[in-house]
Amino acid sequence: MTPTRLPWNWSIERKLPLFFSALLVAVVLVMLGAAYQQVRNAALGFASERVLRSNKEWVSVFQRSATTQRTQTTTLAADPGLRDFVTSGGRRGRDWALAAMRRIAPDATPNVAMEVWDSGGHRLLLRGDSALATDPAPVPASDSAVIGPFRLRHDTLLYYQVDAAVRRGAEGAVVGRVVQIRRLNLSALARQMLTGIAGGDMTLLLGNAAGEPWTDLEKLIPPPPAEARAHRDTTVAATYERDGTKIGAAAPIPGTPWMFFSELSQQHVLAPSLGYLRRMSLIAAVIVLVGALGAWWVSRRITDPLRHLTTAAAAIASGDLAQRVDVPGTDELGHLGRSFNAMAGEVQRARSDLEHQVVERTQALRETNAELEAFSYSVSHDLRAPLRAIHGFARILLEDHGTQLEPEAKRVLSVIDENTRRMGHLIDDLLAFSRLGRKEVETARVDMAELVRTVAEEVRRGAGDRALDITIGPLPPARGDRDMLRQAITNLLDNAAKFTRRRTPGLIDVGHRADGAETVYYVKDNGAGFDPRYAGKLFGVFQRLHRAEEFEGTGVGLAIVQRIVLRHGGRVWAEGQLDAGATFFFTLRGADA
Amino acid sequence: MTQPHEVEILLVEDNPSDAELTLRALKQRNLANQVFVCHDGAEALEFFFGDGSHALREIGAVPKVILLDLKLPKVDGLEVLRRLKEEDRTKKIPVVVLTSSREEPDIARAYRLGANSYIVKPVDFEAFARAVSDVGLYWLLLNHPPR
Repeated sequence: MTPTRLPWNWSIERKLPLFFSALLVAVVLVMLGAAYQQVRNAALGFASERVLRSNKEWVSVFQRSATTQRTQTTTLAADPGLRDFVTSGGRRGRDWALAAMRRIAPDATPNVAMEVWDSGGHRLLLRGDSALATDPAPVPASDSAVIGPFRLRHDTLLYYQVDAAVRRGAEGAVVGRVVQIRRLNLSALARQMLTGIAGGDMTLLLGNAAGEPWTDLEKLIPPPPAEARAHRDTTVAATYERDGTKIGAAAPIPGTPWMFFSELSQQHVLAPSLGYLRRMSLIAAVIVLVGALGAWWVSRRITDPLRHLTTAAAAIASGDLAQRVDVPGTDELGHLGRSFNAMAGEVQRARSDLEHQVVERTQALRETNAELEAFSYSVSHDLRAPLRAIHGFARILLEDHGTQLEPEAKRVLSVIDENTRRMGHLIDDLLAFSRLGRKEVETARVDMAELVRTVAEEVRRGAGDRALDITIGPLPPARGDRDMLRQAITNLLDNAAKFTRRRTPGLIDVGHRADGAETVYYVKDNGAGFDPRYAGKLFGVFQRLHRAEEFEGTGVGLAIVQRIVLRHGGRVWAEGQLDAGATFFFTLRGADA
Repeated sequence: MTQPHEVEILLVEDNPSDAELTLRALKQRNLANQVFVCHDGAEALEFFFGDGSHALREIGAVPKVILLDLKLPKVDGLEVLRRLKEEDRTKKIPVVVLTSSREEPDIARAYRLGANSYIVKPVDFEAFARAVSDVGLYWLLLNHPPR
């Protein structure tokens, strides 16, 4: 999966509300989390408190009941009639014994049975439900009655017994024991009554501290987990897993081997907290929504003027200088709007001044150009006519009167002839150079390879039989004025051909190298070269580095090349050594630029 | 002096040296017999459109070719050219502009006004003589004007 690019380049109008909404969501989530945690802790603490209080109350109830039964049984054991009954081995006083028993529990009291045993392990009497009859057991050592653990018979009958020793007299020997047996009356009603008092949601359990059996007063159940039963902290209830997470605590009932246990379901305890969380989330969602809308509104308040400014700035940039913005108010945006308008006014004024100046300068330039044109026209016309006359009449003198002239006169005439010719070339070249400055550069895509091939063909033709080898490398197209570039290349190749005249063969190499958006073209030859100290003079008008006897020329060709390249925004330079060839470089923009 | 009615070549040239050199070049090809020289633009116009007070006025005299310099006193060559090409009677006469000017605007204007050729006078006399005589030869001997 490719990572999504963060939208930092979104507009402020989107970023600002998004940022505020995210901030709001984060704050609301943290607050919601903290609030829920607090409510949850409070609910759990309250549940723990309830469990512990329930234990305390019920333990005291059961403790009172146990004390009563122990007292009853002890009293029964100390009854003189019953003592006599036991001492006689059951032979007399049976009615006395029954009467004493009746004082504790009237006849036909359900769930209660009583037994009398002698010390030999014989049951002397059983009153009540025979299903509750117990087995022989040792006589308790204590003088007060002892409450036994809950016991199970036939998997359904849950009972406990209270034993007390019977003595011959108040301080006499132990002769037997009485047993009060009580069955726990398990029923849905009993459970409901018990839990109803505790609040309805609490599970109350009763059982032996040492282990089974346990009951919820309706039925037998497995005992609570040993860890929960072993939990003795009286300030916090235990939390454990049993059919879901439960909060519960055990409490031993003093004077008995029993244990009471209160238990709450954590899910039930936390239900109100979750409801609270849901309500708060709803409110939080509304807050976030309102906040986001507010942030959007604020960001619109900021970005609308900015958008106006942008539109106005774009309009000004595209030339509509009369554009102004309407951003009222005294806040930062209002200041910005006023500053913008002031700036636009200034730009408009400056622009109009500039236009005036441009009109004036253009006019002046046009006049200068016209003068220059008139001047060069005059030079072209008026300088050439006398020159033609000098040359023409010198020729006439030679042709018509040659026979009468001495050889020295003829030589002088030939000097005149040669110099007038040269003057003619100078004027022609100078005019060409000056014309170049006035001509518009008409740019188009120019196929340099084709152009160089054409010019090279002409130069090769002009070289006649001389061995001249022109190599043309691959040349990329350029942007420029085809006629001007043709002139420049013609001058460079003519130059190279001229200065390689004394080489056999003359070698000319035309190539290029890329340099960013520009292309550097070069023309390299193995000709006479030049002294690099004078390299700066190469491109000046009428500047020559060779004597006229060596190589003819007016010194304008390279000046024309430089002027053409400069007018194309390029650069031109040369490298070379005397008698070691020369390389001329020029740069042009690529055809795609 | 060649009489107007016999004129085959009308040379309009203010520079006497150029006129002499031109005549010499034509003479070398035996073309100089019927050449008439006007020394400025006004004289050239008089030759064709004069009111008769001038000695040159001769209705019906139609040279076979006019060699016209551009830079002329009084009326310049381009104006002469314009007038000649406006008039039905004269507009069929071939006009060869023979001038020192290499200026592009001059060349363009001359052709726009109906010049038949544009020759730049070389400084070099041999080249000049060759150009003039070639022009004379072409227009006098080789070209068939419309009837």
